[in-house]
Amino acid sequence: MSGAFTVPLFLRGRVITDDLVSFGTRSGAAQFEAPDMGRFVEQLPLKNPAQMTDLYDVTFDEILDVLEALGDALDFDTNAHLQEAYDASLVANVLPAEMLKNSYQVLRPLFSRAHVLEVADSQVGLEYLNGWVPHRLLDGRELRVRAFGSRVLHIPAGNGGLVSAVTILRSVITRSDTIIKAPSNDPLTAIAIARTLADVAPNHPITKHLAVGYWKGGDPAVEEVLYQPHHIEKIVAWGGLASLKHVTRYIQPGLELIALDPKRSATIIGAEAFVGEDTMREVARRAAVDIGVANQEGCANARVIYVVSGTDAAGLADANRLGEMIYEELVALPPFISTPPLYPDRDLFENIETSRMTDDFYRVVGGEQREGAIVVSQFDEPVDYSPMLSGRVANIVPVDSIERVTSAVNTYTQTIGIYPESLKHELRDLLPLFGAQRLTSLGYACSVAIAMPQDAIEPIRRMCKWIVDEECDPDVVIPLWRTAGAART
Amino acid sequence: MSATQARALSVTQFMDDPIHFFGQSYTRMHSVPREELEELQRRAMGIRFQQHYDSIEMLRKLADRLEITELIEFNDVVPLMFSHTAFKSYPPALIDKKRFDLMTKWLDKLTSYDLSNVDTDGCKSIDEWIDRLDEQTPLEVITSSGTTGTLSILPKDKRGAEQGMVLWKICLFQTFGHEPTEQDLNPNVDVIWPNFASGKLGHLRIANMIKRGFTGGDESKFHPLYKGSVETDLMFLASKMRAAAARGELDRLEIDPALAARKDEFIAMQARQPQELDAFFTEITEQLRGKRVFMTSTFHLMYDIANAGLQRGVKGVFATDSAILTGGGMKGVALPADFMDVITEFLGVDRIQVGYGFSESSTFHWACEEGRYHVMPWVIPFVLDPDTSEPLPRTGRQTGRAAVYDILLRAHWGGVISGDEVTVDWDLRCPCGRSSVAFEKDIIRYSEKKGVEDDRITCAATHEVQNEAIDFMKGVEL
Repeated sequence: MSGAFTVPLFLRGRVITDDLVSFGTRSGAAQFEAPDMGRFVEQLPLKNPAQMTDLYDVTFDEILDVLEALGDALDFDTNAHLQEAYDASLVANVLPAEMLKNSYQVLRPLFSRAHVLEVADSQVGLEYLNGWVPHRLLDGRELRVRAFGSRVLHIPAGNGGLVSAVTILRSVITRSDTIIKAPSNDPLTAIAIARTLADVAPNHPITKHLAVGYWKGGDPAVEEVLYQPHHIEKIVAWGGLASLKHVTRYIQPGLELIALDPKRSATIIGAEAFVGEDTMREVARRAAVDIGVANQEGCANARVIYVVSGTDAAGLADANRLGEMIYEELVALPPFISTPPLYPDRDLFENIETSRMTDDFYRVVGGEQREGAIVVSQFDEPVDYSPMLSGRVANIVPVDSIERVTSAVNTYTQTIGIYPESLKHELRDLLPLFGAQRLTSLGYACSVAIAMPQDAIEPIRRMCKWIVDEECDPDVVIPLWRTAGAART
Repeated sequence: MSATQARALSVTQFMDDPIHFFGQSYTRMHSVPREELEELQRRAMGIRFQQHYDSIEMLRKLADRLEITELIEFNDVVPLMFSHTAFKSYPPALIDKKRFDLMTKWLDKLTSYDLSNVDTDGCKSIDEWIDRLDEQTPLEVITSSGTTGTLSILPKDKRGAEQGMVLWKICLFQTFGHEPTEQDLNPNVDVIWPNFASGKLGHLRIANMIKRGFTGGDESKFHPLYKGSVETDLMFLASKMRAAAARGELDRLEIDPALAARKDEFIAMQARQPQELDAFFTEITEQLRGKRVFMTSTFHLMYDIANAGLQRGVKGVFATDSAILTGGGMKGVALPADFMDVITEFLGVDRIQVGYGFSESSTFHWACEEGRYHVMPWVIPFVLDPDTSEPLPRTGRQTGRAAVYDILLRAHWGGVISGDEVTVDWDLRCPCGRSSVAFEKDIIRYSEKKGVEDDRITCAATHEVQNEAIDFMKGVEL
């Protein structure tokens, strides 16, 4: 059986479509074909680390030139590779067409000169990327530190093409040798970007240090060969508890894991939200965006929303009213931001219908067409099915005081959207202790910047190898051999 | 008596006392012509709905919202069906905060009985609460563990439990095609129960029912694997642990002080288990050798026991006319292809019976010689679209989500949607001779089919789950 589309292997500038085998997509609805990676796996890694020297002949200016040209070529209306990737994601991804198209339109500015510089300088430091940075220690030695690229395997998440683009951006600025395992729910975006790179910079060292292909996650024929310290030094793995746990079996001395764990996010809204109708409407609009963007498929989306409304009758009335407003704003979002989910989670909606029947404890706004819903708890606890919240369903939890909102945060928490700013200041030294990694203004949870730490680590710094050159002048740094000689006499 | 009165009477007896309606005969239960049975079922469903509309608040609210005032055709009941979530829709915090008054109020809305006068003053645990309900109401509540870490609480009643055991005996000891003998109706057996002796969990409640129903209360004829009971509160802790682990909040899990105080007792119980297993084995293979027994457990537990027995060179243990019942699906356990042969060789019985059911309904459906689970006459089966829950046609061969309307259920609403994928061949007349509709042999949970990790604590896992909770208590400073 031939598949709906083909995922070629991009091998350091060459595009390979031989030895095709079939795979199912994540939604299970369609199949695609890709070269049998078992046959090509030996060609994926760099033969010899010395082959990375060419990356150091490239100036950072040239890197900026190449990335800018890449960005300019990533124009959805004219780029056939992107259009092909879009067609593939229509069958492979759970998101609707408008949103997927939009996810390609945001790629170009990512590679702009100013943005690449901002990321490189703030997340590593240009001087470390481009040379040896001198520093004198207290004992008198002269240090020179440089950030080298590594041989890195990436396992990006498939919810939106941005992840693949960011992966390539990070790889190029760190002068890394990069292998990307394409995700089954976004199988072609990384390859489309790679092919565009080959178009704008054929035979360039940057192009020759990039390989992108698909194999089924967990395939031992590929992974046992490839995931070895003599082939790769680091694995950057995004999301998916099962896939992350799977990768850990290959981690050993010489092969490091940079884990961008599966995460959930939460929201905290202070009592200030209820000062007046206009403020409430504004808060509702912001919260609706945090819930609705890309249909709540992301880790940064709002899910459980703690509201310091109080739990007395007036407080509950406020929370319920806010729930209604958020629902109104949610369903009014334009389709490139949010739509009713294409594949709503039946089990979740079963729980929602039950909450609707249990009106002593819950108030359910919407959801009858599975278009999304707001479940307002009528006491200060979230619904027990909160880990299932997806497809534009959020749970408002009224609480009496901010002491209670630490419940919003746990080991798996990433972003906390907070309103107003003053509450964020109040909470920012406390919430990280419980697990929060990013505190942001309500309404911005899903507008994620690249030039900042991610998941409480600095992945780009971690992708580098930090190499030290020390120079010790025996007249300055006390030499051990002289001390030893003195002790003998 | 007019014909109409006679019909009315027969519907009432059919729905309230099917055992005597069918003359205690398993054969008659599965010999009613399809159309005649369906007519009875439709009328009984309509009547039961009116009764439950008046007495069960949660059903009434749903029906009002959907503007459903009567049930005429089978499919009319589908929008009113509850999912398993209905029986765990209480906030778990109520249990942590010992608000058993509010738990009672919640349960009151799910049952046809009036619970408004139940006294829960001073209740400190789930088990205590359930004991109060046992004492003060017609209920015999059972609990079962669910996927989100909240215990389901099913308001079953004592009357249904008694009826259920009589029905089990009817199904276990009779042979289709033969009217029951006195011995069939009152068998004399020892009961082998490879599980904890008691508890409020669905299948453990059955232990007491079986004891009452099969041994006439003679303790010496009841042979459990573990003498102790499974504490519901420990199961609640295990559920909470799983939920907390899923949320990444295990570091903040608090153990109820009353439960924590009993830590040593639980640990001692856990430590005794290997000896108890040995003693159990000796008991069934020596003391009960050659006896007629009733034994029931899941496939995998039965297989483990049989396998261990064969390895010790023990086989053909029981009288050939013993009643052996198994089932429970193959949840998460890979068994070898010949597992039934292994079980049969060890037990040495003529037949091993297999049943299908789920705890939200009370009726068990026994498999025929062809391996089909024939639906008992007071249960109306449905095959639904797995995603939309719309009913699929009641003709031809249909595969989808199983749902039932159980007319016999009086204590709670009988319309429930399962998590299982089933196939029904509506037009089939089964070669076994039973006239009833049947679920085909292969039944699988949708969650397993999706390959999703199902953290539902099945009855098969009780032992492991209890140990998990105790191990957790060992690891925390109390």
